[in-house]
Amino acid sequence: MSIGDKLRRIRGEGGAGRKEQPPQAREEEGRSKDERIDDLRRRIREILERRPSGPAAARKSGIPRGALPGEEVRTRRGSVLVNSSRILRNDFHGKRRICETAMPMDRIGVLAGRSVFSPFRCEDALFLDTETTGLSGGTGTFPFLVGLGWFEGGNFVVNQIFARDFDEEAALLTCLSDVARERKFLVTFNGRAFDLNLLATRYILNRIDNPLSGMPHLDLLFPSRRLLGHRLENSRLATLEKMVLGVRRDYDVPSSEIPQRYFDWLRSGNAGLMTDVLEHNRMDVATMAVLVGHLCDLFGSADGFAAAADGSDLLALARMCIDRGEKFTAERLLADLIAAGPGPLGTDAGTELSLLYKRSGRWAEAAGIWETMAGRDPGCLFALVELAKWHEHKTKNFRTAEALVAKALDNLPGDDIDWREALLYRLARIQRKMGCNQNGVNREE
Amino acid sequence: MERLTLEEIISRFRSDRRFMENVRAFREIPAAAGRFSPLPAWLHPRLRAVLEARGFQNLYEHQAEALELVRRGRDVVLVTPTASGKTLCYNIPVLQRALEAPDSRALYLFPTKALAQDQLKEFGEMARGLGGEIKSHTYDGDTPDDARQAIRRQANVVITNPDMLHAGILPHHTKWQKLFSSLDYVVIDELHTYRGVFGSHLANVIRRLRRIARFYGKDPLFICCSATVANPGEHAARLVGKEFALIDRSGAPRAAKTFIFYNPPVVNRELGIRQSALAPARKIALQLMGNGIQTILFAGSRLTVEVLTKYLKDGAEKREPGAEKVVAGYRGGYLPELRRRIECDLREKNILGVVGTNALELGIDIGELDACIMVGYPGSIAGTWQQSGRAGRRADRSLALLIARSSPMDQFITENPEYFFAGSPEHCRINPDNLLILVSHIKCAAFELPFEEGESFGEEKLEEFLAYLEEKGILHSANGRWYWTAEHYPANEIGLRSIDAENVVVVDVTEKGGRRVIAEVDWDSAFTTVHEHAIYMVESEQYHVDRLDLDRREAHVRKVDVDYYTDAMTYTDIRVLDGFETKQDGNAVVEHGEVKVSRKVVGYKKIKFYTAENVGYGEVSLPEREMHTTSYWFTLPLAMLDTLPYTRAEMIDGLCGLAYAVHHIAAMILMADIRDMDRCVADRSGRWFVHFGPGGRKPASAGSDSPENFDPTVFIYDAYPGGIGFSDLLFRIHRDILAAAFRLISSCPCAAGCPGCVGPVLDVGYRAKKAALSVIETALGSPPRKSPAPPALETGGKNGRTESVRRKGRK
Repeated sequence: MSIGDKLRRIRGEGGAGRKEQPPQAREEEGRSKDERIDDLRRRIREILERRPSGPAAARKSGIPRGALPGEEVRTRRGSVLVNSSRILRNDFHGKRRICETAMPMDRIGVLAGRSVFSPFRCEDALFLDTETTGLSGGTGTFPFLVGLGWFEGGNFVVNQIFARDFDEEAALLTCLSDVARERKFLVTFNGRAFDLNLLATRYILNRIDNPLSGMPHLDLLFPSRRLLGHRLENSRLATLEKMVLGVRRDYDVPSSEIPQRYFDWLRSGNAGLMTDVLEHNRMDVATMAVLVGHLCDLFGSADGFAAAADGSDLLALARMCIDRGEKFTAERLLADLIAAGPGPLGTDAGTELSLLYKRSGRWAEAAGIWETMAGRDPGCLFALVELAKWHEHKTKNFRTAEALVAKALDNLPGDDIDWREALLYRLARIQRKMGCNQNGVNREE
Repeated sequence: MERLTLEEIISRFRSDRRFMENVRAFREIPAAAGRFSPLPAWLHPRLRAVLEARGFQNLYEHQAEALELVRRGRDVVLVTPTASGKTLCYNIPVLQRALEAPDSRALYLFPTKALAQDQLKEFGEMARGLGGEIKSHTYDGDTPDDARQAIRRQANVVITNPDMLHAGILPHHTKWQKLFSSLDYVVIDELHTYRGVFGSHLANVIRRLRRIARFYGKDPLFICCSATVANPGEHAARLVGKEFALIDRSGAPRAAKTFIFYNPPVVNRELGIRQSALAPARKIALQLMGNGIQTILFAGSRLTVEVLTKYLKDGAEKREPGAEKVVAGYRGGYLPELRRRIECDLREKNILGVVGTNALELGIDIGELDACIMVGYPGSIAGTWQQSGRAGRRADRSLALLIARSSPMDQFITENPEYFFAGSPEHCRINPDNLLILVSHIKCAAFELPFEEGESFGEEKLEEFLAYLEEKGILHSANGRWYWTAEHYPANEIGLRSIDAENVVVVDVTEKGGRRVIAEVDWDSAFTTVHEHAIYMVESEQYHVDRLDLDRREAHVRKVDVDYYTDAMTYTDIRVLDGFETKQDGNAVVEHGEVKVSRKVVGYKKIKFYTAENVGYGEVSLPEREMHTTSYWFTLPLAMLDTLPYTRAEMIDGLCGLAYAVHHIAAMILMADIRDMDRCVADRSGRWFVHFGPGGRKPASAGSDSPENFDPTVFIYDAYPGGIGFSDLLFRIHRDILAAAFRLISSCPCAAGCPGCVGPVLDVGYRAKKAALSVIETALGSPPRKSPAPPALETGGKNGRTESVRRKGRK
């Protein structure tokens, strides 16, 4: 008896029922026609599922090999299929031309949050995206397709390494090693949590040194989420490309179907299943190339705004720059936003920039911003309070400070008790100081 | 009031005639001096210094022996009592190795998180003494995400549990490269807890662990510790797949202990009902606490813990207002702060009585108390010693008191104290090659690392499994390797401790359009408790089952108010598929092998509350459930049974009563839950069987027509598809089991059957008890007392006093 039969038998999965006709026949009468048809369907399905489909058989007979794009590349660990394509410098991918992607390394450093990129050039970047047999992680997930991209003479090259079966994994990894050796840093989308982890696992399993470990890495997910995610429903690459980059895909395989497509390919050898996946992957790699260009362009130039940039993205970028200690860039971005005129963005930018100035002791410049803010919105609590502090502590113009606090109190919503108390406390202190000053005693805190 | 010492209280017990009437054993376990060996010469000087600083100038003999064996590269299993310093036997080799090779790694497995925490503390203290560069961490569901990476890289000792190893570590072994590529030791403590289904799973997890370690070029040494069971060496070998050196002689000193078995008096002889175990527990505990003697009580369930805690608080309060705070409950679910406060109060003697559940017998740091009261048999000899070990300071006498409930196991133990005191007959049984379990772990293993041609996994033919899984589309072969080709993550779907994760949810649809889940019923009991038209009860609310949808695993119920409940009528049909071994024993033919069990719910009875009148029947149409499993059975010659002075029906009652007793005794010997196995009385060739199911009264007669000739057979089978390894052992010890059943039944003071011997008299009939005894005598071919039997079950009492009390009680 086969293991399958034994398993079915001990689980009591109907095996014995077939042998013993009478009880089943009795059961049969009691059931409705629909139930019987359902049962029949189920049994037919079971039989069909059991029919040997000869996983590799079809492929070995040579039907599909030629049908997949790409050419066979020989490595030290066997052969693998590599599909090479190229996006020419003036070709559009979405709204952008591929050659518009410049990668100033200081900006890449800010985006990645690390400054290790400065010695590199644009051509040193290796864009990487994998397609896998599952998303769950763990050692049983297999990256059957590794899409790689890089700039070469202004054009963008996409090389896709495809394992036609599991036994081509070592070749795939070796081939990836060879490409990686030519490049200096990695660009991925969510590679930190997924692709690179997975590849590290596969290198260990195949006992090959991992060429990617230790390579500087820009994971675009984090800066994209921070700079663009605030106005999108999610920060998936597909959303970004549709909403921000204007990339259209005529037909795209949903990512969730990809593992099953590969399993079906293994069984059927139907190349059509894989061409869609290759195209999906190629698009992802190309999108990363224009996305990094878009993100770098948000920094703008010394002359002003990045073309067609969303102000809120710039504010997010300015905040990121502040966090990463890029004061000059932040100042420039914020000043531009303030200069663009009144409005909530201008107020936020004013707040950020004035606090930045205040922290660096540039009081006069900070006060200038507060004046502007209070000028634009006479009820701006933040500006009034900051100005009051400035006059109380720095200019010692207590009378102005007193007037500012009084104005702030007037503008305070009635139910904000905490603020009211703080303001009243401040007011009392200022008035106390005013009294002292009149008596000629200058007692500073 | 003058306070009594524990010695004085014990001697008062001894001279209290009414107390002693209920005592079935009164044993003095004398103090024993320790046997010591010097610290081994090869010990690293820093480790030696730490040990000496902690007061270990010497080791116990068994510790030294274990260290030598491990040093020589042997896998060791250590079987010594509680508090005999087992942890040093693995901590010393691990620390020594870490000092010699700082990159060295060890993996510790404990069955619970609480035990892992205890071990972390103990190991941590020693490691800190060595300067702190040797790191240990627990790794389980409570480990914060941000700590995990550091643990994977840095911890020399990773302390975890089987479930985490199975689902959290092995499937991600590449992240644990550092651990596996330097893994020198694997420690498995509480080895005896890994038996039955859980143990069979763990054996496969260990196969996977060793396979992964081999991939990284390591074959770690195993150091295992177990409570006293009959087959520790065999069990370790089967669990780990290696041969073990066994160390089972303890060199640790022992303080004197008085061990008392107390069987509450019978209050209703007709039904065999005894006084509740709670009553004497309360009385004795209050007496001890009243004399300032710190006492721990173990109760079987959370509810009993709460009830007993309340009783003791009330009692203490009554004696002295404000004294209720000297009593504390202590069970799972208490917050860590509360636990720490209780532990602290115990050390400070602010608390004199603490009540805990059996589940907490391990892994609580409350120091050692003076007395331990076990309300009900903890279920195994090993567990009983472990609980009683909670009481016992280094120098002074301690008291352990076991109070029996009316279950067969409790009754057997208290009425046959030698079974407990004369060395353990308990066996740990596993079946790692159970097909269902094996195939689950082959999936996990394939996920972890592709299988290669020529590889083996377990005792069955691996290629067949691989071919089967490939046919199912779960694996894919290429070039002599089998790869995982499914999107899901197999370890997540396979639980190590449960038999079947599929539950049926009970949905209340009383409100129009409403859907409120009120309960979950496991798949098996769904058939008997939530079949259509059943009355299902939750917290004394009655619900009528409108529909049972097995495909969607839902039962739809509606709130009702009726004066009856329902009782399912089931039948169990058992057929022998394959006999593995046969022997003649006395007049019985004893066999074990593979059987097909069919169970079907055929109908239900409506039974009126209070009067228990039968007020109606209904039919139920549910699919028959079939299961192939392993069984042990014995057949008796009908002709001989016919010569006994009983009618056919009474004789069948006797067989059913005997099956009941045998079922309970088998579970006891195997430390199994009663539901891990099941019983059936039937014809050997399957032409006839007794309808006989849980909760349902058996019809006293045979199948559709009562044949004149049949071969009466008692089956005890594993209640897990494919079998879990119980049957061949039961086959081997058949005679001991029958002898034990005879003593259980004959020593039971009930008139004609009770839950403590052959089952409730209303279920088995009025002559079943007598008939069962006659059947056993027939089976054994002689009265059981005269037959040669193994010492564990037949040793006579050494304590004449106790024996005489027992005889008096029985006659």
